[in-house]
Amino acid sequence: MSAVVSVTDLTKRYQGVTALDRVSFSLAEHRIHGLLGRNGAGKTTLMQILTAQNFATSGEVSVFGQHPYENEQVLSRISFIKESQTYPSNLRVTHVLRAARLVYSDWDEEFAQRLVDVFQLPLGRNVRKLSRGMLSTLGIVVGLASRAPLTFFDEPYLGLDAVARQLFYDHLLADYTEHPRTIVLSTHLIDEVSDLIEHVLLIDQGRLLLDVEAEALRGQVVTVSGPVAAVDEFARTGSELHRASLGGTARATVRGDFGPAAHDRARSLGLDLEASSLQDIVVRLTTSHNGRAAGSAAAADKEAVR
Amino acid sequence: MNRALTVARLQFVAWRSVVGWPWGILALSFLINLALFSAMNEADDFEPTTGGLMSIYVVMFVASVNAITQDFPFALGLGVSRRSFYLGNVLNYLGQAISYAAVLYLLAVIEEATDGWGVNLTFFGIPFLLVDNPVLRFLGFAIPFLLLGFIGIAIALVFKRWGVNGLLMLSTVALAGIGGLVVLATWRGWWSAIGGWFVDQPGWALLVGWPALLTLLLAGLSYLTIRRATP
Repeated sequence: MSAVVSVTDLTKRYQGVTALDRVSFSLAEHRIHGLLGRNGAGKTTLMQILTAQNFATSGEVSVFGQHPYENEQVLSRISFIKESQTYPSNLRVTHVLRAARLVYSDWDEEFAQRLVDVFQLPLGRNVRKLSRGMLSTLGIVVGLASRAPLTFFDEPYLGLDAVARQLFYDHLLADYTEHPRTIVLSTHLIDEVSDLIEHVLLIDQGRLLLDVEAEALRGQVVTVSGPVAAVDEFARTGSELHRASLGGTARATVRGDFGPAAHDRARSLGLDLEASSLQDIVVRLTTSHNGRAAGSAAAADKEAVR
Repeated sequence: MNRALTVARLQFVAWRSVVGWPWGILALSFLINLALFSAMNEADDFEPTTGGLMSIYVVMFVASVNAITQDFPFALGLGVSRRSFYLGNVLNYLGQAISYAAVLYLLAVIEEATDGWGVNLTFFGIPFLLVDNPVLRFLGFAIPFLLLGFIGIAIALVFKRWGVNGLLMLSTVALAGIGGLVVLATWRGWWSAIGGWFVDQPGWALLVGWPALLTLLLAGLSYLTIRRATP
């Protein structure tokens, strides 16, 4: 599988702020990548640089094997749907769709119209008079119907209710299955997309904390609970990300290379073991100050239950 | 180049508002003037001249500022390169300048043929634009569209790249520069020489040559600026 995007030592500094700090990764073709991280972690900056809308301070960026800046061949194959997208004030919804149809060579008009129906988007309304949710929907329709080989969705769901979000995930997955392409989905609603995401990138304070297959990650982080001594014993086999204790029992989130043997070990120690959800993993990794540190360092960061 | 054409078409997806505003406002301005001077009922030798034609150029200027503040982020969001966006804009302006100038020329000819719409009104023909050469006369209508368009683009790009501080800095530099030159010219007593230079310039140079040169300069500077602008 070839890399659609590869990034080496990418750094972006604004006045006094390091938005991205020596980030390196690559994105495989025809996968759904989840770009996760807190607000201000650097997700949007990263996508802006990959789409040549912003400029890197240093480092290498390659998209479809070339640098994207002023590169029509690369840019015409990218769709970047962002929450902050603005539209010219004289355009109606139908004009925006017509503009997208002009620009994207793989645009599927029939699919676009179907999505407009599904999301009940008012075609004749001026874009400046759309509600926040409708504006998000317009972005989603453009992003899906463009069928761009590389599609970025940067928090595309602002103002959408749970039903509309589910519709988005369903159509994204269905269309992706039918027309495989590389998708980067940046989101806060991790639980909602955890089934969708095949590869996880986690950014925190401009640094890349995770670059791993979602499937592999699921087994890597577990939560054990039971007597403190037993939890201590188990936690030594990995790095502890978080702990809550109550009386003589503790509940710890531990990262390590856990196979079936680990499950047996937990059972023999009298511990309950469960795989952590993607959301838990992300929260634990970004709140434990050094996600990749050894168990001893993370253990210093124990947190008593309130 | 294909991509630039796409951008030019992109800017016309809502063509009714693109064409409607400049011509709608010009038509309104014309009708008001026509009504006003018909109502005045002055003597036959009264030949009013209005500045109403300016309105269409002002709309063009405003539209060109909008092109950078609104169309630019939209086009880049759709995966258009800065170069293509810029070239598309140039094509768009050339197309509008040529077609609009042709219509204005035609209206000026009609105005002359009808003795100022029956009321001696000079609306489309402007006295200092009166040259006999039809090509120059056409360019006299067309070039101001391009000049104002690129002034609008240049100013909006300064804002886009350097924000409000950039605009303030530009104003400060312009004020200091022009003010300094005025002081210098007054102090050295250059005004009569400057006046003489203008008088000596042939009509085509003042009407077409210098504005075209300034337009090209602004177009070049704008291109360099947009290359590093972020939407």
